Parts: sequence; structure tokens; C-alpha cells
Amino acid sequence: MDQVTFSVMMRRLESISLEMTQALERSAWSSIIALCHDFSCVIYDAKGRQLSVHDPIPALVTSLELVVDAIEEGFGDDIADGDIFLCNDPYRGNTHVGDLVISRPVFVEERLMFWLMIKAHHIDVGAFEPASCTAAARDTFQEGLRIPPLKIVAAGTPRLDVLELVLSNVRLRNLVEGDLLAQIGSAERGRRLILEFCEEFGLETVEEYGEEVIAYADRRMGAVIERIPDGSYRGSGWVDSDGYAVKNVPVEVTVEVSGDQVVVDFEGTGAQAEGGFNSSVATTLTAGRIPFLFYADPDIPHNQGCFEHIEVRAPKGTIANPEYPASTSCATVVPAAMFHDAINKALAAAVPEMVHAGTARCSNVPQFFGVDEETGEEWAMMIFNNCGGSGAVKEADGWPLLESVAAMGGQKALPIEQMELLYPVQVEEMEIEPDSMGFGTTIGGFGVRFTIRPLKGSMHCITFGDGTANPPHGAVGGTPAIGGGQFVEEAASGRRTYVSASGHVLVARGDTWTGVATGGGGYGSPLERDAERVRREVRDGVIGRAAATEIFGLVIGEGDDPALDAAATRARRAELASRARPLVEPTEPEAATWVEENLRPGDLYLENPTVD
Amino acid sequence: MLRIGIDIGGTFTDLTALEESGRAHLWKEPTTPADPMAAILTGLEGLAGSLDRPVAELLGEARLLVHGTTIATNTVIQRNGPRIGLLATKGFRDVLYFRDAWKPERFNMRFAPPEPFVERFLRRGVSERIGPAGQVVAPLDEDEVRRHAAYLGEHGVEAVAVAFLWSIVNPDHEHRAAAILREELPDAYVVCSADVVPEIREWERTSAAVLSAYVLPGIDAYFGRLKSDIAAAGLGEDPLIMQLNGGCAPIDEVLKRPVYALHSGPAAAPAAAAHHAGRRGLRDVITIDMGGTSFDVCLVREGRAARSRSIRVDQQPVGVEAVAVHSVGAGGGSIAYVDEGGALNVGPRSAGSVPGPAAYGAGGTEPTVTDANVVLGYLDPEAFLGGRRELRADLAEQAIAAGVGEPLGLDPVAAAAGVIRVVNASMTAAVRAVSVERGLDPRNFALVVGGGAGGLHASALARDLGIERVVIPREAGTLCAFGMTVTDVRHDYLQPLHCTSDSLDSAALDALYAGLEERGRARLGDDGFAAEEIRVERSVDARYPGQVYELTVAIPAAESYGPEHLAQIEDAFHAEHERQFGYRREELPVEFLHWRAAAVGRMDLLHEGAVAAVATTVAAAPLGERRVYVPALGEVAAVPLFKVEALATGSRVDGPAVVAGDTTTILLEPGDVLRCDEDDSFLIEVGKGGD
Repeated sequence: MDQVTFSVMMRRLESISLEMTQALERSAWSSIIALCHDFSCVIYDAKGRQLSVHDPIPALVTSLELVVDAIEEGFGDDIADGDIFLCNDPYRGNTHVGDLVISRPVFVEERLMFWLMIKAHHIDVGAFEPASCTAAARDTFQEGLRIPPLKIVAAGTPRLDVLELVLSNVRLRNLVEGDLLAQIGSAERGRRLILEFCEEFGLETVEEYGEEVIAYADRRMGAVIERIPDGSYRGSGWVDSDGYAVKNVPVEVTVEVSGDQVVVDFEGTGAQAEGGFNSSVATTLTAGRIPFLFYADPDIPHNQGCFEHIEVRAPKGTIANPEYPASTSCATVVPAAMFHDAINKALAAAVPEMVHAGTARCSNVPQFFGVDEETGEEWAMMIFNNCGGSGAVKEADGWPLLESVAAMGGQKALPIEQMELLYPVQVEEMEIEPDSMGFGTTIGGFGVRFTIRPLKGSMHCITFGDGTANPPHGAVGGTPAIGGGQFVEEAASGRRTYVSASGHVLVARGDTWTGVATGGGGYGSPLERDAERVRREVRDGVIGRAAATEIFGLVIGEGDDPALDAAATRARRAELASRARPLVEPTEPEAATWVEENLRPGDLYLENPTVD
Repeated sequence: MLRIGIDIGGTFTDLTALEESGRAHLWKEPTTPADPMAAILTGLEGLAGSLDRPVAELLGEARLLVHGTTIATNTVIQRNGPRIGLLATKGFRDVLYFRDAWKPERFNMRFAPPEPFVERFLRRGVSERIGPAGQVVAPLDEDEVRRHAAYLGEHGVEAVAVAFLWSIVNPDHEHRAAAILREELPDAYVVCSADVVPEIREWERTSAAVLSAYVLPGIDAYFGRLKSDIAAAGLGEDPLIMQLNGGCAPIDEVLKRPVYALHSGPAAAPAAAAHHAGRRGLRDVITIDMGGTSFDVCLVREGRAARSRSIRVDQQPVGVEAVAVHSVGAGGGSIAYVDEGGALNVGPRSAGSVPGPAAYGAGGTEPTVTDANVVLGYLDPEAFLGGRRELRADLAEQAIAAGVGEPLGLDPVAAAAGVIRVVNASMTAAVRAVSVERGLDPRNFALVVGGGAGGLHASALARDLGIERVVIPREAGTLCAFGMTVTDVRHDYLQPLHCTSDSLDSAALDALYAGLEERGRARLGDDGFAAEEIRVERSVDARYPGQVYELTVAIPAAESYGPEHLAQIEDAFHAEHERQFGYRREELPVEFLHWRAAAVGRMDLLHEGAVAAVATTVAAAPLGERRVYVPALGEVAAVPLFKVEALATGSRVDGPAVVAGDTTTILLEPGDVLRCDEDDSFLIEVGKGGD
């Protein structure tokens, strides 16, 4: 195929996934999909190979071939034009039960040519708690309705009985129905565009293109892996808890690089969790692949060709590959985000220019649920307004509100005014938390402090994060971030109840819930950060004077807009330079000190609390 | 009697004078970025010269002068505005920094977060809070506002934005804080968010206020100078400013809501397109305008330009509803390269005007789209811009060969043809994005083409999109400046009234619209419009209850809204929802958020009669031949060459052919038929002839 036709077709296919994305975003119902953008639309070929995707949520793509396999296994020859499948089963190729996958096979000239896969994170899947990610789920039966591949539309006819089965098992049926319709609408949009694409280029060319674009990504990803020196690299980290009593579950990874191939092996990782912090097969596969996509140029097409270079192994019975029926309710973030960081830590010595520092792992992402006392109506929202920052890289500071590697900024915040219009709450504060990020030559994205109050009755708050005890790591001489935390404050007494990264608490009417998200980790020595820039950050109240002096070696004057003493700063930096920092930090579990520093006399601290 | 349009672009300042007869005079003057007025004044000399009269006489005859300027846009993009401050509700001063949390380019870790427009120490929180129903939850702390004013003054801010939560339902706190700021800082500009865009969503509204404060000192000074310089040169009336909502407005109105001065030039293209389409009985057209660095697309349906509420400049939302001009980095200066995987890419990086394409001979070595057009023989090196700029074919060929040909193993012509196909694919994708995104099939549209090189790509784009008709106005080379001569005066207003279709308070709605109508009509009255020249278009932002995004649907005007109007509005919403998203839920009521009124002062057009189809056409005689690459043949062939200026009404040209002019060049493929109509514009029927 000539390169020009190839380039033209690549653009066309990308614009089709973009159009599917826009259709779903604009017509979805729940804020988690419409605003928070927690979904991705992907085009697979008939062989179940990822072909094209537009700016996706990383954790939602790169493993959907497993769902295609499960559909084919379940239905064999009974896959016809006009069928639309639904599946959310983590034991049949899906990431976790919260992600509902709509799959539409596309037939051209009576041949199955493509699979359109639309995965969206729903607000409610009928878990025992009113949340779609629940750390407290002890097995897959508690985490919600598990849906094996089934036809929600059969040969063009909607299966209303099947739809009703799903809706009868969730609390917020109106939102789930609207979101499913929007997913199906997006698939229909994609199908029409794909048919035009095939008509324009002809089936033979389209098939040839499929092979070529996979080969193209294969070549480019091969070149990326080649840049990593051959060798065996080890990295480790800790997940705060297993959802119940076990703390600091170890994550161990060995990254074996040989030529343009890499094997990511989670041998040594901790035993499977009692709660919802296990990874599904799909999620572990994704988490092993994604770091390498970040090392490549961002314009590389993220298709099967990239994945050919990466093999992922995970021993049975661990949080990376649990035995049925363990719960994988929170898989895409906990433990997956720590898998990603561990791979980055492993490679920090070999390719420091490629890796990034640690990113927040769903720090400060609450799921709220309540009943409006005045109307009796149930309401629920999961928000990303206030989540944590990303880790720095050699060339750039991190971003705020990146959530985790699973999303990497692919989710959106709910405007405060929308939130107060849609739900009976009042937001009291949403500002940058000073000193919440890791320091370095480049610094992590800032963390955020967020305080909210229920106005019409009490409010459940369910969190499923990680990192309050084990904060995002600093890389190549940068420092770790704070880890952050959350607390409920009683209005009457002012007493605070602090809560570990995950938990379920009740916030009484008039009381407040506050989350303080961690920033991302820092990269490189803080002594090499541009001094004028640090001065401005002190002036702007995002870096405290103590950190500026102790860690960045800055000498500045007094006042709102302090002057920099450049000569004294140089001298101080030279003096501090003798203190070496480890390549990655922390090196031990439970390094975060934020909670103990902030606990006041009379305050409580609860580990993985539940509400009866 | 004349109308004048002046559009300052990155490379050229375009001027158009439109005579009562409909005859347009065009002039292109190189832009003078350091002092944009200089190019305007010399351009006016050139334009007057082409009409054989002195500037004073030209301006004396002008009934209207509309100006589109990049000054506000450039201030934002180049970040060279003044130091500004922000007062926000306490606890929310970082709204702009957090944005909507969305990070573009998910996998690009090397992409640094954008710098905020207001330094954080100048973003001050104020104790105050309004609730969603407009109730005062916490009173405004006026002493605190005074302290902030003193602090901002000490740090030398020139403008302050005030943006509080829920000011859209109760702007009292914002207005009171602004009054205090004006007392304490008499020299500073002050902008309130609710005055710029009274719409829910604090990020977009704060952004609109901050961008307004950021550009206000600059545009105030510039507009003052424009007014006095042009008056001194002989213009009797004050100039009007082209706004991003697609209409123009007097300077004082734009200064109240300065974001409307952003993107002011490109927003005029749809007006030009609507004008040409309307005169030819075409209801639905897509306008494309190919400039040096970008390719702008806009959809015009039923004579109205598509609008959007998510327009951004340098990643910052402008917040207000604007003409939806979709821009991609695919212009004449866009650079072609082969990536490490062997794929050919074009743009978004551009050679700009300096050094420009390799063919300009100004030091550029990277291959651009213009270079490809030179290699393929489409552009005459001697006659570019009426001979005012020479093109170096040898340099163009070298650049294409080195940058594209060698890495792909193609000869320069094949490489150049590849560059054109790839850039055409980007343009096609952009056109599809504006049409398919709205659930519309581009095949039902005609293409209206602007930009000097637009005519080279138009036939290929039309083929890719399945479009059968292309209009290339005689003014294609200065499409936006022409659009400014045929645009209306427009003021947009809106007010929130949150309710559902089963709980609508008709009396409240009637009162709301009575107020908006009165405001709009009074303002247009002040602008000099008589009652019969004014129309007010109404629309509403609606969604299903529980849904997050709204659709804006047009609604009928009524003095008193009754059940029959409500049914019409509901039907319109269900239909639009289904068209765009593929489903409807009629069992649910419709939720309404903001009610809009666009007050339009209709310019009596100097020539708006229908352009009759030319009954008989005569094959024009070519002036010679040129060897060009013919895509349909896949090879270089000698094709007939025509001159734009030599084609008269009724002339017909069959493709393949090249039609070359001073400001535009057209490529016809085999099967294309071009006709020159009464208006001296060109109509191409794509692939219809030769059978």
C-alpha cells in the first residue's frame, strides 16, 4: 500500500473514533460519563485486534480483545449483522464490573469486518453499597450485577427483557438506561461511518490497511523498546491495604528487556485481597502495557502492533491475578496504578529520560450517595473535581487533576454550579493544597483541597483510593508527594474523623467532608529547579517558605513578592548538594506522614471504615 | 455609497470595498504586526487607488466600515497583555487553573500545564456566597474587597476580573465589588463575569471575564486610535467591529464584553458564504477558508452559521456562544514530514510568513503545502499575488525532494501529490467534523471557498466528501473582509430560568423575553436601526432532566407562551436530540436552563437580488497551456490555462484546466464544469461534465 493512501486512511479511522466519542459524551446522562468522560470508544478488527482509538482513558482500552474473545466463545456462529452485545464480566475479559462494554460487530458485504467497542464506567451496577467501585466487596457477588456477554439488541431488535433485567438490578435505573442508550447510539454512529469508509476505499484496501497500520505501530513501538538497554530491572511498591486488615500489600515487578521485546512479570506480588482491590486479567494486561505507550511519541497509533512487543505475566492467587470469585471492583486504579508506578521505578536507572515520577492513585475521588429529604429522591455522583496530580518528567512539571494513570486527565470536573444545581450539596472550598506535590527539578502536579456539605439529609461518601500511606514516588532525585487524605468534620464540635484512602462514611446534614488530594511526585534534584520559578511559587503560595529553603535551597526576602538573593541561593544550593537522594523514593512502605501531622487532639482515625 | 471591510490576518491585511452595484474591489496589504494601523492606512491607499480616487473620497462615500482584528487574539496567544487581578468567591480562586481537569494529549507526558492568565498571588478570595436560587448564603465582605483593591493596586494591576459563584442568578455581589474596585482603583479596568456571559458553569464564565480583562486595556487603546485615525482619513461614521458571534457591533458595546473581539476575522466568512449561497438559492453550505497557517471551516444551515459554546483560544474557553469556526493546522505554510514509522504527515507546524514556504526564497527549507502546489505546477512562480511576490520553483522542489521524496522513495512530483492528498485528508476530516458532529450529511451541502489556495483544493475536497457543487466567489482571496461588508449588527443576550416543560411558569418566561427584547431593540435603536430593520431570534438551552449537556434549539417568538408553543419547543428538542445522538425519550419532560435572544439589526444589502442561473454558456477560450499534475490521471499533463480576470459572465470551462488569478487559483479535474455567473463568481459542478 502506498504511504499516502495509508496516511489518509489512518486519519479517517481516527476521526471515526473521535466522532463516536463526541456522540457519547454529548448525549450521556450520568455526570461520570457526560462530564467526567469516563469512557472510551475503540475500533477492533475482525480478528479482535485493536485498530484505532482517539485520546482514550488509558485503563479502558488496550485489553478489549479479551471481551471480543469472550463474545466469540459465548456465541460462536450466532453473531449477526444488527446484533449488539453487552458485557461487564471481569472473569470474561472485562476490567471491572463498573465498566459496561457495548460491542457492535460491523458486517460489510455480509462479512464481519470490525468490532466497535464502547466501554463506559457506569455510576451504579447494583453493588451491595451504592457505588460502582467498592473496596469493601468481599467477592464478585457483592460488587454488583455481573453480566456475561449477551445480546441487548438481536438482529436489530432491542431486547427489552434483557434491558429490564439490568435496570431492575440497579438503584439509578434512569441514568443507567440513558447511558446505555447513548453507548448504543455511539456504536450506531460508528457503524454508519465505518460503512462509508469501506465503500470509499474498498474492502480489499481496508483489510490491507489494517495489516499495514498494525505493522506501522509495531515498527515504532519496537524502536522505543530498543532504546531501553537489555537487562532485567526490578521495581516495587505498596498498595495501602487489601480493603480489610492487610496493610501495605507488596507489588513486585520484573521488567525483562531483550532487543525490541519486553516481559513484565508480577512474580512476588502480594496474595489476593479480601476486598475489592484485586486486578482482573484485563486490567493487569493493560497496566503492564500502558507505561510503554507513555514512553513512545504520543502520535503513535495505539493499536495491537504496539502490544506485540509486551508480554505480561502474573502469578495466580495474587492481587495481579486472583482466583475466582475474588472481587476486582476497583481494579483499574487499585491496584493497577501501583503496577504502573512500579514499572516506572524499575526502569528509572536504565532510562531516566523516559520514566515519570509517581502519579496520584485515585486520591480524593469520592462517590456520594444520598436521599433528598424533601423529595424522597435518591441521588448519586462520583466526582473528579478534586483528584490528585501527575508525576513530573524530565522536561515538564506534572498536571493537577490527573486522577491516576488509569485516566491521566481523561476525565472532566463537574462544574461547582452544575453540582449544586443537580444535587443537594454546597461546596465550601476547592483550592490548590500548598506543598502537596513532590519537589524536584520539575515538580509534580498540585494536589487539591475540597470541602463539601450535604444540604438535604445525610450523605454517604464511599472512596476507593490508594496512596494515603504510600505516596506517589519521587524519581531520579525528586521527592515523593504527600499522599493526602480525607476527613469528616462535625459542625457542632469541630471534631474530625480521618479516614484511610478507602472507606465508607456517613456525613450528617450540616457536617462537611474534606478531601486533600496528593500531588504527583517530583523529578530530578530540587536544587536544580529554576530559582526564579521557585520564588514565584513561594509568592503564589503553592510552595511554602520552609520547603523552599530546606529542599530547594532558596534564599529570598520577606513580603508578598519576596526578592531572590541569587548569590546566597547559589551558595546554599552548593552546600545542600552533598545530601544525596535515592534514585526513587520512598524505599520503604508507609512513608506518608500527612495524616499524623494533621491529627489534632480529640480527632479520630479510621482504617477502611464501613457503614451498616 | 460604499461599504468597506478590513480584515487583519497573520500574513495579510485584506480590504474590500463593495459598491452599490454589487461590484467588489479587493486589496491585499502585508500585515504590519508592530503597528497594525500602518497596514490599514496603506491598504486604504491601495484600495482607493484601485478605484481611482483619493482615500478621503473613498471613506467619505463609505456608509459603513467594519473591521476584524487579530489584536485581541494575539494578546491572548502571545501572552503579552497587562498584569491583571481576579476576585473570586473565597475558596475558589483556582477555578481557572483547574480548568475542567481535562488534559489534552493524554499520552504526552512532556506537555507542560498551561500558565494561568492571572498570577496566583493576584487571585484573591472574597467572603461572600450566593446560592443556586439567588439567595444570599453569606454577605459580601466589603472591607475585604477594599483591602484586596489596595493590594492589587500596590502590585500594579491594570485590570481586574470579578467572578463569583452563582452571579448569574444574582449579580449583586459582583456589581457591588466592581463598584468598590472602581472607587479604589479609578485607573483600572473592571469586568464582571455575569455581564460578559450570564451562563451557568463557573470555569467558562470566569475564563470569559479574565480574558476580557486581559485584552481590554489593549483593545480600548487600539480602537481609540482606529476611530481617530480613520476619522482623520475621512470616515464620517464610527467603524464597527466584527465579533466572534458573527455579527458586528459598535466599539462601546464590544468594550463592555471584550471576549467578543476575539477571533473576530474568521467569524465573517460565514456571512460571506451565506450571502453568496442565499443569492443562488442554496440553503445549506459549508464554508472553507484556507490561509497561510490554518484551514477554517464553518457550517451554514438555512442561511445561518452554526454556533458553538465551546470555542477556545489558547486552551481557554471564551465562554460565550460564537460562530463555530473549526480550525485545523492545514494551510499553505503547513509543513510536511515523514515520521519515524514512515508515515507522511502535514502540519500542524507551519512555516508561517517568515521564513514561509521554501518557494518564498526567504530561508525556509522544510517542505510546505504551497511548495507542493508549486512543484505540481498549479501556482505560476511569476504571477503569484499579481506578480508582487516571486516563487522559486527550484527551492520548492528541493524541499519536497529532501523532506518527503527521499524518505518515501518517491520522485518530487509523486511526493508533492502525496503531500496534497494528506493535507486534503485533514481538511476533509475537518469538514466532516463540523457536519457529521451535528448529525448532518455533507453531501447535502454546497462548498463555498475562500483563501487564495482554496480553489486548488476545492474540487478534490468536494469529491472526497461527495459534494456536487462548489461556489468560488470572486472575492475568495479576501473572503472575510468581504463578509464584513455583508454582515448584520448583532447583540446576544441570555437569562437563566431553570424549569422543566411540565413546570414552566409561562408568565415568568413572558416577562423574561419582554425584558430581553426591550434591551435588544433599545440597543439597536441606539445603533441607528429602525424598528422594521430589527429582528430578535429566540432559542433555549434544553436537555432531558438528569442529563448533563444541553442542546440549543430555536424557539418561536410569542407574547404569551401557551401549551401549543411548549409542544413546539418540546418537539423541536426531541427531533434535534434524535438527529444528533440517535435516540429520543419522549416519556420525559424537557429541562430548560438559559433562554437566549439574539437582536439583529439587518443591514439593507446593497445587492441581494437572486443571481439567475446563466442560461447559455459559452466555452471560454484558453490563454494557453500549463503542465500540471492531474490527480485523476495520476500524472503530469498539459492542461488549458485560463485567467480569472478574462472570464466573463456566461463563460464555461471544462476540466481538466487551471484558472489563475491575482488572489486565487482554481484547479479543475476531468469532469468538472466551471461557469462564471452574473456575479462574476464561479460555480463548479464537480464531476458532472464530460459525459
